[in-house]
Amino acid sequence: MEVADVTQFLAQTTPFDQLNSMELAQLSAHIKVCYCQAREKVSVQPERLMIIRTGIFSLYSDQQQLLTKLQSGDFYGYQQLLTGLTDNDTLVCDEDALLYYLNAEAFHRCRYQYKNIDIFFQRLFSRRLHQYQERQQGRFTLKISDIVQQRKVTIRPEQTVQDAARQMSDSRVSSLLVEEQDKLVGIVTDRDLRHRVLAHALTASTQVGQIMTRQPHVIDRHAFLYEAVQQMSQYNIHHLPVMEQGVCYGMLSATDIMRSQQDHPVYLIGEIHRQASIDGLERCSQQLPALAITLHKQQVPAHEAGHVITTITDALTQRLIYLAQQQLGEAPCVFSWLAFGSQARMDQSLNADQDNALLLEKEPSGAVADYFCALADFVCQGLARCGIPLCPGNIMATNPELRLSLKGWSGRFARWIATPTPEALLKASIFFDLRVIDGSKGLFNALQQDILQRTSEAPLFLYHLAQAALQRTAPLGLFKNFILEQDGKHKKGLDLKKRGISLLTDLARVYALSAGINDVNTRRRLQQLATQGVIDSKDSQNIIDAFDLLAQLRWEKHLQDLQQGHDVTNLLDPMDVSGLARHQLKDGFAVINEAQSRLKHRFCRDM
Amino acid sequence: MIFNWLLRKRTTLSEIVTRFSRTAFPASSTPVQQTDFLALDLELTGLNPRKDHIVSIGWVPVKAEEIVLSEARHYLICSPVSVGQSAVYHGLHDHQLANGKELSQVLTELLTDYAGFVFVAHHSQLDEQFLRIACERCFGKAPRFKFIDTMKMEWQRLLRQGKVVKHDALKLPSCLKRHNLPEMTNHHALEDAYSCALLLLSQLKLGGNKMTLSDLYLLSR
Repeated sequence: MEVADVTQFLAQTTPFDQLNSMELAQLSAHIKVCYCQAREKVSVQPERLMIIRTGIFSLYSDQQQLLTKLQSGDFYGYQQLLTGLTDNDTLVCDEDALLYYLNAEAFHRCRYQYKNIDIFFQRLFSRRLHQYQERQQGRFTLKISDIVQQRKVTIRPEQTVQDAARQMSDSRVSSLLVEEQDKLVGIVTDRDLRHRVLAHALTASTQVGQIMTRQPHVIDRHAFLYEAVQQMSQYNIHHLPVMEQGVCYGMLSATDIMRSQQDHPVYLIGEIHRQASIDGLERCSQQLPALAITLHKQQVPAHEAGHVITTITDALTQRLIYLAQQQLGEAPCVFSWLAFGSQARMDQSLNADQDNALLLEKEPSGAVADYFCALADFVCQGLARCGIPLCPGNIMATNPELRLSLKGWSGRFARWIATPTPEALLKASIFFDLRVIDGSKGLFNALQQDILQRTSEAPLFLYHLAQAALQRTAPLGLFKNFILEQDGKHKKGLDLKKRGISLLTDLARVYALSAGINDVNTRRRLQQLATQGVIDSKDSQNIIDAFDLLAQLRWEKHLQDLQQGHDVTNLLDPMDVSGLARHQLKDGFAVINEAQSRLKHRFCRDM
Repeated sequence: MIFNWLLRKRTTLSEIVTRFSRTAFPASSTPVQQTDFLALDLELTGLNPRKDHIVSIGWVPVKAEEIVLSEARHYLICSPVSVGQSAVYHGLHDHQLANGKELSQVLTELLTDYAGFVFVAHHSQLDEQFLRIACERCFGKAPRFKFIDTMKMEWQRLLRQGKVVKHDALKLPSCLKRHNLPEMTNHHALEDAYSCALLLLSQLKLGGNKMTLSDLYLLSR
C-alpha cells in the first residue's frame, strides 16, 4: 500500500530516482513520516536515515558552529549509519518541515541491493568532510582592536609644551591625546615639538593648544588594520586616535602596526640572521609560540606551518654554525651539516627534538676532529637553548660516530642496505631522510646519490624496511572503533604521530627509496611517486589527504596545548574533536590500513 | 497472517465488535505525543449513511507522532449497488469495485488491529456515521468509536486567531496549503487519510507539547 505523495517524492530524489515503481513502493513501506516545527531541535535518533521532504534545517557542530543547511532532498544520519559512530551535532529546524525516516535495516538492504545507492551515500559522506574543511577557511584579518590596548596618555590644551615633553618621556610614547572635558580636541607628537616649537624658537611655556593638531584624523576601534595603514599613508601621518562610539579609546601609531607584523616568519628569520650571540638567538626563538599561534589564526595549513617552523630551525642552525666559526675560526676542511628526520622532511612540529650530524671532506683526526667536536657541541647546545631539545637517542653531531667522512657515511649506509636486520633498520630508518642545512652541498649530493643507487637495487633491504614500516598499525579496531593508548603521565588518547603520521612517513620512504627519489618531504615524495607511476595517483592523493588531516589535527592539538600552557603532546582524545572530524579520522586511519596492505603486497610478497 | 484469519473465522461476528469495545481507549489525560491515532478516510456513493455505500477505505496509523507507512492500507469495497454518478468524485468505477473486498472483511481487520486507537478524519462526523451503520449491517451492532476531527480543530484554531472562516477554507486541500503540507493529487481514500494524518501532526505541533487527548476531543466538538 503506497502513498503516492511519498513514492512520487522518492522517485524524484537522487539516489532513489533509479528505482522502479515497485522497488519504490517497497522502500516507501519502511518509511515513517514526521513533522517538525520551526525552531524545534530535532533529536536525531540513531540508526535511521533522515530524508528531508520539505522545510529547512541547520546543522551545528558540538561547538555550536554552523556546519551546513539541509533542505528538501537532503539526507542526514547516513554518517552514523555508515560508520556506526554517533556524533554530537545538533539539528535545528529553521522552517516547518516534513521528514521521512528510513530505518537502518531498510537503508542497508537498499545499499547492498543497489550498488549505485551505496556509492551515492559513500560519496556524500566524503563530500561532507570536504564541506567541513572548507568551512574552516576564512580570511584572517587583524582589526585595530586586536593590537591597540586601552591606554590613553592625555594632556590638556592649557598645559605647556614642556609638560607635554615630560609626559611623553615619562610614559615612553611619541604622541599625546589632547583632551578637554574628556573630549578629544587634538593630538601632539614629538615631531610637533621639534617642528612647531624648537624650529620656531617658541618657549617651553607655550601652551599645547597653540601647537597641537586640531581635529585629527581618527579611526574606529573596530576597523581593520589595513584601513588604518591606508589612512596613514594617504595623509602622511603616523598617529591615529582610536575612537569607540565617539569616545577616545587610545592611540594607534605606525610603530604599533609594524610591531604587530613582527611575528611574521620573514621578520623572525631576518632577525635570527642579525644576532651576534646565543642569547640573541634564544630571544628570537622565544617568539616561536606566538608565531605559531599567528600562523594558526591566519589559517595556514599544518604542512605549510611545518615548513615555516623547519625554516626557522634551519636559520637558527645556520646562524649557530656562523657564530661557532666566529669563535673557533674557519673550518679546517669542507663539511656539510646534515639534518635527519622531521627537520630533513621539512615537517617539523613544535615538540620535535634534534636529529643532526656532520659529513666531512675527510676522516677527522687530531686537531680537525677536535675542531668539529667543538663546533658540534656549540651548535647542538645552542639549539637546545633555543628550545629544540637534545635528541634522547643521541642522533646528534655531538656523537663522534655521527661525524664521518663521505667514505665513512657511505660505508655505514652500505652496511644497512647490504645486510639489513630488522632491529637495526628500525633505528636506522630515520637516517634515510636527510637534508643539508649548511656547508657543502656537493659533498651532500655525493652521499645522497650513493645511497639512492644502493637502495633502489636492494630488494632485501626494501623488504626489511617495509617490515619495519609495518610494525605499527593505525589505531582502528575490528569494528572500526578507536584503539586508545595510554602515554605515561597523560590520559588516554590516539597517538597521532606514532600511530598515524609516522606510519605514512615510513611508507612513503620505502617507496621513495625503491624508486630512487631524492626528495625527502613526505608530501613531495608521494606526489613524485604518483608522477612516476610508482603508485596509483588516486592512492597517492588519498594518502596525502590522510597525511594532511593527521598533520592538521596534530598541529591544532599542539597549539591547544601551547595556549593552555600544557606540554605539547601528540596524544589526542577523540572526544575532544567534533563528530565530523572523528569520522574523518577514521577514514584517515582506514587509508593507512589500505596503504599498508598494498606496501606489504609490493615489497614483502616474494620474500 | 493465516492464523489470524483462522481465528477470525471462528469468532462470531458480534464478538469482533465486543472485543473492540472491551479494549480501553487511552485516558483523556494522555499526552497527545503518546497517543496512538488512526487516520482514515472513506469514499462514498453519496452523503446519506442510510442509503449510500462505502466504496473504498484508506487508513494509516500515527504512533508517537510518526506516520507509520508500513501499516498504511487501502481497500476497494465490492458495492451491492452501482456507484453511479459518485464515480465523478472518487474515480472508482463498478468494474474495479467488482474485484474489491467484502465490507465485513475490511471492517474485521480494522476493528481487530486498531482497537484502542483514536480515529482521526477530516469532517469525521460523516465517516463515523457510515462506519457505525456499516458495522450494524455486518455485525449486527456497532461499537463506540473515539473520533477526533481535523476539520473542526482547524476551524477552532482559525476562530481563535479571529479570522473569518469561509466554508471553502476548511476543505482538506485548503488546510494542507495553509499548513505548507504537500498538496494532494486526487480523491483517494489512502491519500486523503495520509493528508489528514499530516494535518494532524501539524496541528499537534501548533498546539504545543502540553496538549492532552481531552484537548483534542474538546476541539473536535
